[in-house]
Amino acid sequence: MAGIRTPLAVTFSVWKALTLREALSRLFAGRASWFWLLFEPVFHVSYLIFIYTVIRMRTVGGIDVVIWLIAGMLGFFMFRRTATQASNGVGANRALFAYRQVKPVDTVLVRGLLEGVLTAAVACILLCAAALFGHDALPDAPLSVFEAFFGLWLLGLGFGLVMSVVTELLPEVGRIISLVMKPLYVISGVIVPLMSIPQPYRAWLLLNPIAHGLEAARLGFSPYYHAVPELDIGYLYFCALVLIVLGLALHRRFAIRLVTQ
Amino acid sequence: MIIVDDVHKRYQTDHGPGKWVLKGVTFTIPPRVSVGLIGSNGAGKSTLLRLVGGVDEPNKGRIERHCRVSWPMSFGGGLQGSQTGRQNAKFVCRIHGHEDDIPDRLAYIQAFAEIGDAFDQPVRTYSSGMKARLKFALSLAFDFDVYISDEVTGAGDVAFRKKAAAAFKNLADHASIIMVSHAEGTLRQFCSAGIWMHEGKAHWFDDIEDALKAYKETVLA
Repeated sequence: MAGIRTPLAVTFSVWKALTLREALSRLFAGRASWFWLLFEPVFHVSYLIFIYTVIRMRTVGGIDVVIWLIAGMLGFFMFRRTATQASNGVGANRALFAYRQVKPVDTVLVRGLLEGVLTAAVACILLCAAALFGHDALPDAPLSVFEAFFGLWLLGLGFGLVMSVVTELLPEVGRIISLVMKPLYVISGVIVPLMSIPQPYRAWLLLNPIAHGLEAARLGFSPYYHAVPELDIGYLYFCALVLIVLGLALHRRFAIRLVTQ
Repeated sequence: MIIVDDVHKRYQTDHGPGKWVLKGVTFTIPPRVSVGLIGSNGAGKSTLLRLVGGVDEPNKGRIERHCRVSWPMSFGGGLQGSQTGRQNAKFVCRIHGHEDDIPDRLAYIQAFAEIGDAFDQPVRTYSSGMKARLKFALSLAFDFDVYISDEVTGAGDVAFRKKAAAAFKNLADHASIIMVSHAEGTLRQFCSAGIWMHEGKAHWFDDIEDALKAYKETVLA
């Protein structure tokens, strides 16, 4: 050990070590864990494609229903998987807090990062599969799609940061929040086109930043998509930023409590 | 050298702050002096070790570490049950910044722990003695000035305790140990000085025998 490492160097080595161990347990802990990681979104998407096409719907809001579903579904998974994995980071790595180098916030950030990368990989695989079946899977504005997915990932990370502290310190509140989050799948416009919902209800649904992210992602795939006119990607980033700052502040404030509980 | 100055510690309970576990603990551990912590159950020995090891912080007072201190080896944490001994060892090497010589350290850990093929089995299948062996080997793979052991040493069998004590004799010119144990033999084997924890205070004894005597007098009285 040559000299004392800088705090930044310690943090980076912790992140690297945690990333490797988390990736290992996420992909290979159970029997074929990596398969289920991929299969869940594939199943969701193909299930809904089947239902939609059976009732003879070929396009939604002017674009291919398959692309509409993949963009919406994977965008939503980008948020939800990141949020779930990150919120459970502290509890799952309890044994490692015996090493003073490892802080609770490290486990949450690393899990969020890993899940983001994995979901992005899954999205690419699904889009390639769609292209093989003859759908126009290449986005017209790749940067806009990336912007939307990145915003959804940031939102998931911020939500996970906040929830990881709340579920550890106030388990009851954590339970209530996850109950409230359950219907998100329906109200975010993953399977229901938000354009088909009349005002003033649409305005209420658009208070949910995830809906903005999903619409922006679809618009990135095709400029002819009839997105909701109220679409504002800045709102998604604003909410994500607020959650991240709040989550980091909570981790800063309760770092010791999280370790000792 | 480790300086513990007027350290107070209490834990948060479901009903507000709990009672004080440590009430003004003050002592200084000179370099290269191995210390045994003695006291009845719940006297605050493990709490003190966690504070010295830097995984927890005192409510009041301060702790200065003028040397490299290991993590507290204890029954509770340090190993992830779902991963193998080898994977856990790699993780510890990485967080300590020894990315480049992992194979050497792994070889050392495997040889010292002597747990055979179990090194590549998940840690949850280990007995407590095997876990103790692995934890001890892990910490010895790094050059610390002070090693902290919370009752773990006692879980190994006689052969392993002998081996561990011999390893410490070799390190004696630059390293020491702070340990909690209820086995007098183990304490005598490893430590020269003693700290007796009683009613939230710590009493320092230059000779471990005097600390044991003071402890026994209160227990038997």
